[in-house]
Amino acid sequence: MTFHMKYATCGLLAAVILATAPVAAQAGTYNLTVDRVQIDTGDFVKEGIGYNGASPGPVLRFKEGEEVTINVKNNLRETTSIHWHGLILPYQQDGVPTISYDGIKAGETFTYKFPIVQAGTYWFHSHSGFQEPDGAYGAIVIESKDREPFRYDREYVVQLTDKHRHSGDRIMRNLKMMPDYYNRKQRTAGDFFKDVSEKGLGATLSDRSDWGDMRMMPTDIEDLQGFTPLINGKGPKQNWTGIFKPGERVRLRFINSSAMTYFDIRIPGLKMTVVNADGNNVRPVSVDEFRIAVAETYDVIVRPTEDRAYTVFAESMGRSAYGRGTLAPRAGMTAEVPKLRQAPLLTMADMGMAHEGMDHGPMKGMDHSPMQKPMDHSAMQKPMDHSAMKKPMDHSAMKPAEQGAMKGMDHSAHGGMGGKKTDAFYAAGSGLAPKAANGGKFLSYADLKAQKPLYKLRPPTREIEIRITGNMERYIWSLNDVKYGDAEPIRLKYGERVRFKFVNETMMTHPMHLHGMWSILDTGAKKWNPIKHVVSVSPGTTVYMETEVDAPGQWAFHCHLSYHAAAGMFRKVIVEGGPEASNMIPAREIQKAEK
Amino acid sequence: MYTRLNSSSIRGALLAAAATFALSTTALAAGEHGGGHGSAGKAIPKMGHSDGGGHSGGHGNAAGEPGKASEATRTITIDMTDNRYSNEKITVKAGETVRFVIRNKGELVHEFNIGTPGMHKAHQKEMMMMVDHGVLEADKINHDKMKMDMGGGRTMEHNDPNSALLEPGKSAKIVWKFSKAGTYEFACNVPGHYDAGMVGELTVK
Repeated sequence: MTFHMKYATCGLLAAVILATAPVAAQAGTYNLTVDRVQIDTGDFVKEGIGYNGASPGPVLRFKEGEEVTINVKNNLRETTSIHWHGLILPYQQDGVPTISYDGIKAGETFTYKFPIVQAGTYWFHSHSGFQEPDGAYGAIVIESKDREPFRYDREYVVQLTDKHRHSGDRIMRNLKMMPDYYNRKQRTAGDFFKDVSEKGLGATLSDRSDWGDMRMMPTDIEDLQGFTPLINGKGPKQNWTGIFKPGERVRLRFINSSAMTYFDIRIPGLKMTVVNADGNNVRPVSVDEFRIAVAETYDVIVRPTEDRAYTVFAESMGRSAYGRGTLAPRAGMTAEVPKLRQAPLLTMADMGMAHEGMDHGPMKGMDHSPMQKPMDHSAMQKPMDHSAMKKPMDHSAMKPAEQGAMKGMDHSAHGGMGGKKTDAFYAAGSGLAPKAANGGKFLSYADLKAQKPLYKLRPPTREIEIRITGNMERYIWSLNDVKYGDAEPIRLKYGERVRFKFVNETMMTHPMHLHGMWSILDTGAKKWNPIKHVVSVSPGTTVYMETEVDAPGQWAFHCHLSYHAAAGMFRKVIVEGGPEASNMIPAREIQKAEK
Repeated sequence: MYTRLNSSSIRGALLAAAATFALSTTALAAGEHGGGHGSAGKAIPKMGHSDGGGHSGGHGNAAGEPGKASEATRTITIDMTDNRYSNEKITVKAGETVRFVIRNKGELVHEFNIGTPGMHKAHQKEMMMMVDHGVLEADKINHDKMKMDMGGGRTMEHNDPNSALLEPGKSAKIVWKFSKAGTYEFACNVPGHYDAGMVGELTVK
């Protein structure tokens, strides 16, 4: 249910704005309403929240250089907000209640106004409560003012989500009560009621409590299961279909708007050339499959030459469900839908126990075979005591290229190289390290190289360590062991370049999202390091990113898994100094102008 | 400068052969194109299924053969920008010799290479190898590394007369004779660029 909001439809308003704001080269006015909507997944129908009467909301199409005015009318009976995910804008327009503004109260209209200073694929969503998991999200497509460094004949937004029968509030309550409530790989809700009827409520709860004593389980890859993945609002049975003419190049703009779910995406029979990640062009890299973290975007070009249908297959990282769509020359055509692969199991490496093995040599005496039983944490005084490790994994010291199987002149590996390389963004021996279903190339962060670096390379002015921490037992997720409610803001100074060191001390994968400023992911590619807005940190790894602090004001910084953010894996970031936010020109614009 | 290269027996492109033949011919061909690489402003000699100098591997170019500058009937200028050609369709007559002026106006290394889709595919693997071995960087060509001994006297030199591999700001001339009617492609085989659409249609009538 996507449609284009043409600003022509708001012609009158736009004309008024054009007349009063002669400075803006272009100006568009867009109107959004926030509504209660019905969401039909094909498996179930439930009430949720959407925009302009539907979930997902409309695709907002902007032009780089445009000055946008967006009127958001709240038809809900509660406060709402819209955050423009990945957009560089004044902080008052960023849409995070209590940080950017007060939110939009029931019945009120809030008018956002900001310049569009970038191009690419982005999205928008509510930053209030669990409205986003309940359906309050939509896509943003920004047309570049320059010619794109790739060609395509048509394009589609492919927006993924993980729609659950339960409301976000109910899911959070259940997770707080019983963190493995939705872990169907372990126990199902059905098992729970079965246990209750067989053993009685007391014994069942006690048993659940025992499980809870162990903070994590090898199956803890998705803490929310039992959802139906949707592509552009359509479940697998409803089969979203994009039409193509054989031989055409099709740009697919993948957006993961899920609350909790990472997806592994492939289109059997087609190579996908990744040309953009998180809105920024990357040097084109052709892959067979890629993993999209929650809140990331990837644009790929495919060129189907045959007159047949192709399945767009989005398998959840924990293999509990899949999203399915189709690319076809004509409506109604379908292609074979692959089966879900076997669920991965976390290993000792994902526990962070294999850190010393990061030289990639053989692990001494470590059993990396998937654990069949949950870890007995009672034997450990404190799980993951990183301080005791001599050598935490240091990506900065490794050149990803050195980690591959580049021994001697083994050119036989060529072409299929992706399959043989160790992905530095997973702990060595990790159960999560992905493999392409066809044995081909699986995209790694290490493959992402900026097409055109946005910032000049310079040494960081300082490093800030962020330990990603959690207590699964009580479903507390935190940073540096402190949850949001108890934490001081992170203070940055305008003009500095901060190097963030993310140390993941949990067994889960966390998509870290900094608002307002770019996250320059350190892949070891120096000036070609990709520029992102979400940096996914796998269990047992340390990942670095750098940020040019060029946006004054205050911003949100958090894990983008909805229930982790709500549980406390969240910080306010205050940028001190710098120009007045209201009339600032982003530093990168100045840099461009100087060129 | 390519015109002095041995034009030679052009055979129908045996694509599979071209793919596997790439490295092994280079050692033999290496002596023929001294000086072709490393100097600014010139096309960088290319590794691979090269000038054909009488090798029996069947790695000729179905799209034609190196031409003589004196026989060129016209000049076609093609600007390469980041991952695009200024001109994406070229039509020539069978038997015509064309002088191509190729200019890299982008910020990354690009190639102009005349061939069939199969030849490009094979060459993309070689280019990937050049990247993996540090010969080819995004915006720079490490000529010294091209001469690196890959074992058995093989190198990664890039010296086909049907192609130019250029750093940003550089340009090159190619004189090419289109001997046979057909549909071919000019393409950039730097990893990812072809798939991103840096390929043009070449029709020989």
